[in-house]
Amino acid sequence: MAPSGVTSPIVETHGLTKRYGGLDVVRAVSLALPAGSRTALVGANGAGKTTLLAMLCTLIAPTEGDATIAGHALRARPAALRRAIGVLAHQPMLYEEMTPLENLRFFARLYGVTDAEPRIEELLRAVGVWTRRHEPVSVLSRGYHQRLALARALVHRPAVLLADEPETGLDPEGVEMLDELALRAPGLTVIAATHRVDRIGAWATGLVRLEHGRAVEDTASVAGART
Amino acid sequence: MNAGLAVVAKDLRLAWRDRAGWASAGAFATIAVLTYSFAFDLATGDIRPLLPGVLWTTFLFASIFAGGQSFARESEEGTFDALLLAPVPATVIYLGKATANVIAMLVIEFAQLLLATILFDTNLLSPELLVIVFIGTVGAVALTTLLSTMSASMRGRAMLLPVMALPLLIPLLIGAVRATGASLDLESGTAPWTLLLGVFALWSALLSVLLFPMAVER
Amino acid sequence: MIVSTLRAIYGWRWSVLPPVAGVAVMAMVLGALLVAPREVVEGDVQRLLYIHFSSILAAYGAFAIVFLASVVVLWRRDLRWDAVARGAATVGVLFTGLTLATGAIWGKPIWGVYWTWDARLTSTLILFLIYAAYLLARSMADELDEQAARFAAVFAIIGALDIPLIMMSVRWWRTLHPQPIVLRGAERPALPPEMLIVMIVAFIGVGALAVWLGVLRTETEWLAKRTAALRAAADRREGA
Repeated sequence: MAPSGVTSPIVETHGLTKRYGGLDVVRAVSLALPAGSRTALVGANGAGKTTLLAMLCTLIAPTEGDATIAGHALRARPAALRRAIGVLAHQPMLYEEMTPLENLRFFARLYGVTDAEPRIEELLRAVGVWTRRHEPVSVLSRGYHQRLALARALVHRPAVLLADEPETGLDPEGVEMLDELALRAPGLTVIAATHRVDRIGAWATGLVRLEHGRAVEDTASVAGART
Repeated sequence: MNAGLAVVAKDLRLAWRDRAGWASAGAFATIAVLTYSFAFDLATGDIRPLLPGVLWTTFLFASIFAGGQSFARESEEGTFDALLLAPVPATVIYLGKATANVIAMLVIEFAQLLLATILFDTNLLSPELLVIVFIGTVGAVALTTLLSTMSASMRGRAMLLPVMALPLLIPLLIGAVRATGASLDLESGTAPWTLLLGVFALWSALLSVLLFPMAVER
Repeated sequence: MIVSTLRAIYGWRWSVLPPVAGVAVMAMVLGALLVAPREVVEGDVQRLLYIHFSSILAAYGAFAIVFLASVVVLWRRDLRWDAVARGAATVGVLFTGLTLATGAIWGKPIWGVYWTWDARLTSTLILFLIYAAYLLARSMADELDEQAARFAAVFAIIGALDIPLIMMSVRWWRTLHPQPIVLRGAERPALPPEMLIVMIVAFIGVGALAVWLGVLRTETEWLAKRTAALRAAADRREGA
């Protein structure tokens, strides 16, 4: 149920398209997601969810169209946009030979987090990795990787979290933690691609369905603000 | 700036943690020098003219081999994407990796120079020679780091990397071998080899720094 | 304007280019064998000059196109230019190989050896290796892999910019080492008129042949990409 307020959207896309050769993987997707909204991105495998998220992260350049996140345009100011987003991808994106503490310290420095140490401790405790913070990531199990990846994604307090199937590899306790820290966290705007359709009711405020690259259903965008 | 130092520190730490990989490169270099000794019977006869060539071919192969595997981990773990996602300019990412690679290669090369000094009774640790090795290493590593970044996601990259890197590095090889020979009083002729080497190193570093962001932008 | 010229040339690939290339190459062969006089010192093997020299010029032209197309690939992200670069690189490698081969055949009776490490030969060999490596790198990647195309474009640009350094360093390297055999240059100070005519015909013939092959190869590369895209689209529709 999209909120009916007149808040300007924090994530806006206009005709976002990605074409490889003659193949349109994402086709003219236009969204307008308000701040604080939590959008579930659903669709079959190959529908374009991952590519759409990758474009929003600035990892892939769009063939056509543009997007704005927290006021920063994708094409014009990608670096500023990156500060405002946290990314939880298929891979945890962690350095295996470094410890959780070293990993988070590195990412905190990269993002210029000023209160790094307290923030890192807060996050590591919240994801349940604090007791194992001095062990190299390679000895931790997959579930811990995902938890640590969440900490990495949130360490710099992003305005928007982009997640690709974040429930993967998490036990029920981990899923609860995911909800608490991310999917239902106050003040955080979330776009999460997910196959766990059963859980959407628990956290999402809106839904966007992709089919063959097109957005065929959209209950997340603010009506009237879409172009 | 702080972010830049963080990247360099991270790469140095990873190089240290992953020292098994670099140790393999060092072992490869040692085996190569020893293999040349047997193949060319370097212990007898006048071997000194062959030494610069032996050393530099070994250094180049080791740098290609080591550079390739050091980048492969970042690509496999997906952490390269994490770096691209950070509000850090791509150039900084490149400089971090290149700096760590140069330092690691210098360590390996120093060990080889020490070994060769002992085996072949020739002083290879003179300041002049060390400067030549430094310049040559910077020039070679700048390109091999760029190429290994690019080929990290390709199949068959292990064979592809030397095939792509070596033709590009020929001016460096020619210059470095002759400059090394000149410092050992082996060369006649008056071409300014060290100048060629320096020019190539500068060209290679500048071009790599300029092209890296374009290469990784998707 | 450039793009419309290129489009025109592409349009000629089955109409104008084949007859021009065919006729001119035949004229070159006949001219080289019958019209051009027998060279006094080197004999009949010197008749290879026409194809040898035209081939290397065609190759240089092709490599220049690889460089320019690669720059456009990075700038515009348009994979059609990647197809152009691959087509041109194939032609360049082919004609460089032809140059080296005709040079070796020519060299044996004249110099006594098939190969000598003189500056020009060595630089040409390195050129061959660089663009062969480019083609190898491209062939090992997926057709639709935009990233691989960008990487190859960067490699092609580095390679092209390296060429002056390579030629300079190789020349310094070889001039300080006396040649075992005294070489005579491949050019004469002045060609007699019959030879000049055959040479010009050879430029036209080999040039047209190179352009034609390049265009065909570019088309093949582009069709391969289209096919891969269609196949991927079909897979997705089948719910893969």
